[in-house]
Amino acid sequence: MGARLSALIAAWLAAAVAGPALALAAPDAETILRKAYDNYRSQSSGSTVAMTIHRPAWERHLELKAWTRGQDDALVRFTAPPKDAGGATLKLGRDTWVYNPRLNQVIKLPPSMMSQSWMGSDFSYDDLAKSTDILTDYSHRLLGAAQAGGHTVWTIEATPKPGAPVVWGKVSLAIRDDYVLLEETYFDQDMKPARRMTTGKVGLISGRPYPVSMTMSPLDQPGRWTRTDTVDARFNAALPSWLFTLSNLQNPR
Amino acid sequence: MLVALAWRNLWRRSQRTVLSLISIALVTALLVFMLSFQEGVYGVLKEATLRIFDGYAQLQPPGWADDPTLDRVIDHPGALARQAEGLRGVSAAAPRVNAFAILAHGARSYGAAVVGVDPARERRVSSIASMIRTGRYLATGDSDAAVLGETLARNLDLAVGGEVTVLGEARDGSVAADVLHVVGLYHSGVPELDRSILEMPLARAQDAFGMEGAANTIAVGGPSLAAVDHAVPVLRTLGHRAGVSVRDWAALEPALREGIDLKYAIAMMFYATLVVVVAFIILNTLLMSVLERTREFGMLLALGMRPGRIGAMVWIELLGLALLGCLFGLVLGGGATLWLQRQGVVVPIDPRLLAQFALPARLYPTLTPLSALFGPMSLLAAIIVGGVVPYLRVAGLTPALAMRVP
Repeated sequence: MGARLSALIAAWLAAAVAGPALALAAPDAETILRKAYDNYRSQSSGSTVAMTIHRPAWERHLELKAWTRGQDDALVRFTAPPKDAGGATLKLGRDTWVYNPRLNQVIKLPPSMMSQSWMGSDFSYDDLAKSTDILTDYSHRLLGAAQAGGHTVWTIEATPKPGAPVVWGKVSLAIRDDYVLLEETYFDQDMKPARRMTTGKVGLISGRPYPVSMTMSPLDQPGRWTRTDTVDARFNAALPSWLFTLSNLQNPR
Repeated sequence: MLVALAWRNLWRRSQRTVLSLISIALVTALLVFMLSFQEGVYGVLKEATLRIFDGYAQLQPPGWADDPTLDRVIDHPGALARQAEGLRGVSAAAPRVNAFAILAHGARSYGAAVVGVDPARERRVSSIASMIRTGRYLATGDSDAAVLGETLARNLDLAVGGEVTVLGEARDGSVAADVLHVVGLYHSGVPELDRSILEMPLARAQDAFGMEGAANTIAVGGPSLAAVDHAVPVLRTLGHRAGVSVRDWAALEPALREGIDLKYAIAMMFYATLVVVVAFIILNTLLMSVLERTREFGMLLALGMRPGRIGAMVWIELLGLALLGCLFGLVLGGGATLWLQRQGVVVPIDPRLLAQFALPARLYPTLTPLSALFGPMSLLAAIIVGGVVPYLRVAGLTPALAMRVP
């Protein structure tokens, strides 16, 4: 009886001491995620990105400029190749518009099209529009921490909150201790991995560690992937408010 | 001699025999008509459903069934279509581009299937051309023309003469964009089609979606579904050489096939019950007549007739009754079916409801060897097999006991 009680006390003491220490080493899952997204997008960002779309039969190279404001607004304008240059996508809150220079028309995207491929890539319009939904529509759990390349890498599992308007069964993420997103795997409703985004290269951009090269691959279609390489990015710069307007979408200043 | 005896016996109680004959004949006639009617209705249902859009069969690139993406193509659709049209049982083969795009008009936009079609061939494969409510169908020589379903047009707030913007992804992954003029609106009665399909000229679609002359599918039409079904093996050989696969109607509309199979199975259960019940009624009647004649049979046995012969006589009575009844029924049911096959049966259902399932207001039964003979044959078989009971009863008689029956 006495031995058992002392063991219990010892365990309790150990937990009391180790608890705060563990919390210090690994903040809670939501904080990690929020910091990773802050690192990725900040309050505002402006970046130049090269996008490669790979298919078994062909490969396309596009160049684009992207601006983000807060968590919800984004503007992407393609600059190359000539065939696609001028095309742009604007996202404000939950609404998305597409501008096509050949038609000289702005088209508001119907909600039913949001899961369709964006510009023929392996990203969907949803990826553009809901990029921060992982923070708001999911609950997060820290699954573990591992050491890799001199860094601690946290594994976080995000499961949709009840009633959240999401298509995935769950999302699992790997985030480095300097808040660089290393991997993001999307599971379908049957909990089978459906697609995965991996960070191929981490580099310094505007003085911060950044996932410079990221590749999205649908796991059920081998030979297809889309890679984005961030060439240059600036963070937290003041962006003019006319940037995120329909008139700027159609007639860029 | 047995046959003559049996025949005489039947007419000793003519009222009972006539009643038995009538019940066999009526059930047989009913079975003949019901089966023919089912055959006819399902035939119409299949053809009507397939003719709206699918076609009676389709040539498709490998893998299209599981993953219909624009980059799965048939490279020389024109040549393959011409070859298919040369086959017996195939009257038209229509190449199509099957793309998916955003359609926009003003502030409205919807996702829809954009199908590039060859108007002249398409109207021989799909009945959308005949379902135009306003305006006209596409014509050879059209360029920036489009027809779309009424519901889709309403959703986009579009009318004939309006401009619709098409924005999608081309075969090479680049942006496909085009502006078309609406020339007609169709109403197929199938809600999914009416709200989700826009048709445009094939060449223009090939151009807009970067198809480089290729198509995604070739829809096959013919004088009848049966004719095309018959041509499917040859189509497969043809397709195999061109590296494309062939899907027959059942593969194109698996739900339709399963629905029809299920309906047949349920109907068969009903028919089987009918056959069994009637067989029992007839057997019961005969058994009664056997019991009535026990003394008579005892007499025959005493005179030296073997029990087996008497049993055979009773069986022949039954056989004669069944054959005669089935024959009458076949003539009655077959005649009525043939007559209705020409007249049509007006179904007491709102024609608008029928139109939604692509069914005409008048339905026609189809008398086939199977539908004509299945009912009579199964009834005959049931009665003959059931005849074992009276046979055994008679065969077990002994003269002394039989003659003592009051």
